[in-house]
Amino acid sequence: MVLVRAVAGRVLASLGTLLIVGLALFVLTRSGPSSPARIVLGVDATVEQIRDFERVNGLDRSLLAQYGDWLAQVARGEFGRSFVTGRDVAAEIVNALPVTLSIVLTAFAIAVVFGGALGTAAALRPGGVVDRLSRFGTVIGLSIPAFWLSILMIRVFAVDLRWLPPGGYAPLSAGLVTHLQFVAMPALSLAVYYVAVLARMTQASLQETLRSDHVRTARAMGLPRRKVVVYALVNALPPVVNLAALSFGYMFGWALIIEQVFNVPGLSRALLNAISQRDFLLLQGIVFLFTAVFILANLSADLVNRLLDPRQRTAA
Amino acid sequence: MTKLRQALAIVDWSGWLGAAIVVAMVGAAVLAPWIAPFDPVAVNIEDRLTAPDAVHWLGTDQAGRDVFSRILFGARASLAVGIGAVLIGGLIGVSAGIFAAYKGGLAELAVMRVVDAVASIPLLVWAIAIVGVLGVGPVQVGPLSLPNEVKIVVLVGCLFSPVFARVTHAVARRVVSADFVKARWLQGAGHWAIVTGDVLPNCLSPIIVQATLLVAIGIVVEASVSFVGLGVQPPAASWGTMLSDARNAIYSGEWWLPVFPGLAISITVVGFNLLGDAVRDLFDPRSEARTLVA
Repeated sequence: MVLVRAVAGRVLASLGTLLIVGLALFVLTRSGPSSPARIVLGVDATVEQIRDFERVNGLDRSLLAQYGDWLAQVARGEFGRSFVTGRDVAAEIVNALPVTLSIVLTAFAIAVVFGGALGTAAALRPGGVVDRLSRFGTVIGLSIPAFWLSILMIRVFAVDLRWLPPGGYAPLSAGLVTHLQFVAMPALSLAVYYVAVLARMTQASLQETLRSDHVRTARAMGLPRRKVVVYALVNALPPVVNLAALSFGYMFGWALIIEQVFNVPGLSRALLNAISQRDFLLLQGIVFLFTAVFILANLSADLVNRLLDPRQRTAA
Repeated sequence: MTKLRQALAIVDWSGWLGAAIVVAMVGAAVLAPWIAPFDPVAVNIEDRLTAPDAVHWLGTDQAGRDVFSRILFGARASLAVGIGAVLIGGLIGVSAGIFAAYKGGLAELAVMRVVDAVASIPLLVWAIAIVGVLGVGPVQVGPLSLPNEVKIVVLVGCLFSPVFARVTHAVARRVVSADFVKARWLQGAGHWAIVTGDVLPNCLSPIIVQATLLVAIGIVVEASVSFVGLGVQPPAASWGTMLSDARNAIYSGEWWLPVFPGLAISITVVGFNLLGDAVRDLFDPRSEARTLVA
């Protein structure tokens, strides 16, 4: 019961945060140097034309009222129609989202599998070869900017070896192999940083658990090493899962840069188009979506921690 | 002094390497106008795309500009954004954290809620969106005309502040309720004296650790935002814009154009990460598990 209340409290707090941060975003997108009406109608438009345009589109009302309307729309799954292109914002997002999602999910899978495996292997033999290699490798992994790695990979795997296409995108409907050929390099370069992050966390957490009293007791009582390690892994999990959930939120942001390098028709292109065309409704929709994903990632990190670690269940 | 020497003895070679890289990069950034062999923005079409040689150590780019000089000047943009953002974030976050811990009650709750809200803003997306909305032009502050990067410094600084606020708050709350602070109270010490003389010094070590690691993240953010054209504006040199300019060279084969600016970023970030790890081991050896992610 206490757990349910704590969870409900966290969910509500996250929702409130999203609403407030969304308002900040709303104000920001309208604080640009020129009004949407001026952008659509051009520099020659008269003051009256602009006033008319603003009245018809509801831009003359208070920001709070406009925000309320926009939220009501979003709740119905509509993001409005762009003033600039006349296209439906939700439809544009729905077109681009699967591309970004595919890259991020693949990268996330790589990060979790390899980060977890590397960290575990390193923690089981402190001072061993894997431990030393991983200490060295993770510092490098944390420090190479993903977009530079992308550039180098394009040179090696697309230009020199001709194994993979240098950019572009093919949806899953074009066949799994073709799809993965296009997703492999973007996902891999996005994943490297998070492999390092998760490997470090797994290693630190598992090593701490292996040093703890209950593990020593279990060993002293003659429990086989493999069993001890399995128990220790379960105990070492909460901080790793927590960090993995946070990472998922961050990955969307960096995917924007990676998509640029590979010229992928994902949310990055939509966002940069929105910026160059001063299409603020589209920009607002995309950034709101990213923020919602990020907040959701934070929330699930917190909830997962509570579920896995009984000590944190009732924390406010 | 001997205490300091004993403490420093546990810093291993990687920590010293990190410190050396950081010192070298800061030196390069500060001294760039004096040590750069060429003007970083001087166009020289006759010398365009020359491979590294004795004159142009790291080659020249499409406009014949010297890559080595541009990397030296690029260090200024990178470090200015990285360190500037950390200073702003540290100032806001540390003040907020100490204020919350010291005041307690409703004020503490309110401040930490705001911190939570700011922490739930995805940094890179917002940096791109905000610069996109405001435009990449210079910022006018009174008579000063500041370059576009200032927006990124302020924004990244604000978004770094929750990290500082949380770590400061956690330590400060313990310090505030400690007996020695109560004793200082009874001695009649003022709020300001207690905050600056007792609370702040005790929070410093985790703050320094976070600051070092955040500089590394700030540098990568600057490079990334500049890479998509929303950071440092041409013709000024930045490692991110240099990599963006180098994208065609991936196919045409001028390997020095994409390789050296990327190396500059990576080496600098390695430096701050190694230094951060070493500082953490020095101050707080048990906190290994707290990894910073961005």
